[in-house]
Amino acid sequence: MIYVIVFLGGAMVMSFEILGSRVLAPNFGNSVFVWGSLISVFLAGLSAGYFFGGKVADIRPSLKKLAFIIIIPGIFYITFPLYSTGISNWVFTLDLGIRSGPLLVSMLLFFIPSVFLGAISPYTAKLMIISLHTSGSTIGTLYALSTLGSIIGTLLTSFYLITIAGVKVLIMAEGIILIIISLPLLFLNLKPA
Amino acid sequence: MRAFLPFLIFQLAMVPGLALASHGPPNRVLFEKNSLYQYIRVEENPEKRERYILVNTNGKGPGRGIQGGVSIDDPEKLLFEYYRMAFTSLAFVDKEPEDVLFIGLGAGAMPKYFYKYYRDANIDIVEIDPDILDIAKKYFYFSEAKNMKVHISDGRVFLKRTSKKYDIIFLDAYRGDSIPFHLTTREFLEEVKLKLKKGGVVVSNIVAESKNKYFWSMIKTYLKEFPQLSVFRGENSMNYIFVSPTNIPEKEANVVLAQAEEIRTAKGIDLSQIVTWSWDYQKNNSKIYRVRVLTDDFAPVNLLQQMEMKN
Repeated sequence: MIYVIVFLGGAMVMSFEILGSRVLAPNFGNSVFVWGSLISVFLAGLSAGYFFGGKVADIRPSLKKLAFIIIIPGIFYITFPLYSTGISNWVFTLDLGIRSGPLLVSMLLFFIPSVFLGAISPYTAKLMIISLHTSGSTIGTLYALSTLGSIIGTLLTSFYLITIAGVKVLIMAEGIILIIISLPLLFLNLKPA
Repeated sequence: MRAFLPFLIFQLAMVPGLALASHGPPNRVLFEKNSLYQYIRVEENPEKRERYILVNTNGKGPGRGIQGGVSIDDPEKLLFEYYRMAFTSLAFVDKEPEDVLFIGLGAGAMPKYFYKYYRDANIDIVEIDPDILDIAKKYFYFSEAKNMKVHISDGRVFLKRTSKKYDIIFLDAYRGDSIPFHLTTREFLEEVKLKLKKGGVVVSNIVAESKNKYFWSMIKTYLKEFPQLSVFRGENSMNYIFVSPTNIPEKEANVVLAQAEEIRTAKGIDLSQIVTWSWDYQKNNSKIYRVRVLTDDFAPVNLLQQMEMKN
């Protein structure tokens, strides 16, 4: 179960990033600045997520708390179509220039969800280490699965998903998946080793 | 900007397996660079005395990624057929154009030609890649002027930001083989329409084969915003030119032809092929029903380019 979550978390981050480029293009174009902003904001979100995810994991970790770490970005994804155009249009009217505009809109739209998705890895690592004693290989496996998920998320989105459905529907569907996978966690208890 | 070399396609089709290089000396590479956006190469054909700008290419294959070109001995001449096709738009505008916009510079051939015949017009050109501008100046006899300026920007962003309106808007922005998706959508065309003067015209260079899904998606998308769409097809190129007028009432064909003739006598711009280039897309309207309109939300341009449609 944990492995599936880590894998899907990785996939959702990268899929969102690919779709994000499409969300920004109408107002901010397809310049290198847009791509640069998008990638750095996602990485900033992830690194903040790793850091704070680790901190939070040290305070009485539980599967229920993990569920909330996943449900929150799920809600952001599902409601994304409600606020994305408004925020994007608002930043456009600020006319901040070709670098700051894309950077600000990326921060507003993508930073918070990627912090939470980033927190999944350290949090699950802590949970797994509590119940197992082979921490090195556990963490290694989680890293590998998360990155593998990211690869699959990138490929699937750019090669296939983008051709069968609209960007907004895809983001909402991904939000629904995040919420569905988090639900069982609410009813499970951590088994100590 | 981009055009296919008709002769190469012809030879490939007729004499399979024949190496292109066996016809005369190979093209000389004058310059190459990896810019912010693409790999750019300038080639010269010493026999024909022509220069081409190529993008994201190894220099092989039928299209070869050619984005524009110039004749060294006659830099004012329009080298490619699709350049000439694009100027059929002059026969559709309501009055002599005063403000025109080109999105996508390439070798700068079209704005340079337009400037030659309409000295008083204000010409804005938008190009995303600063290296393309340097190359157009250095190798393709292009230069800016007081009333002809190049703006380094994304085309759609420029259009949204500008407060100007234009008589003609030329859309010829390509990245390699395809138009960036955000310049193909219905929302984009809506924004273009907002920046047109009354009775203005949009001209779009569409590189596609009429059997593929992308081509019909573009027709359908254009028709949503520009029901007066006319399509022109080159006799020896793979380019289609979409001319989208907004005259009210719509101009009759004989009025358009009379205006083309008027421009020929007054300016010397030859639009006599307008009838042979004209291509009736209506007879294929079952294909129009079978594709989706491209929107900001859904525009898988690269994939549609690979998909063929049955009749």
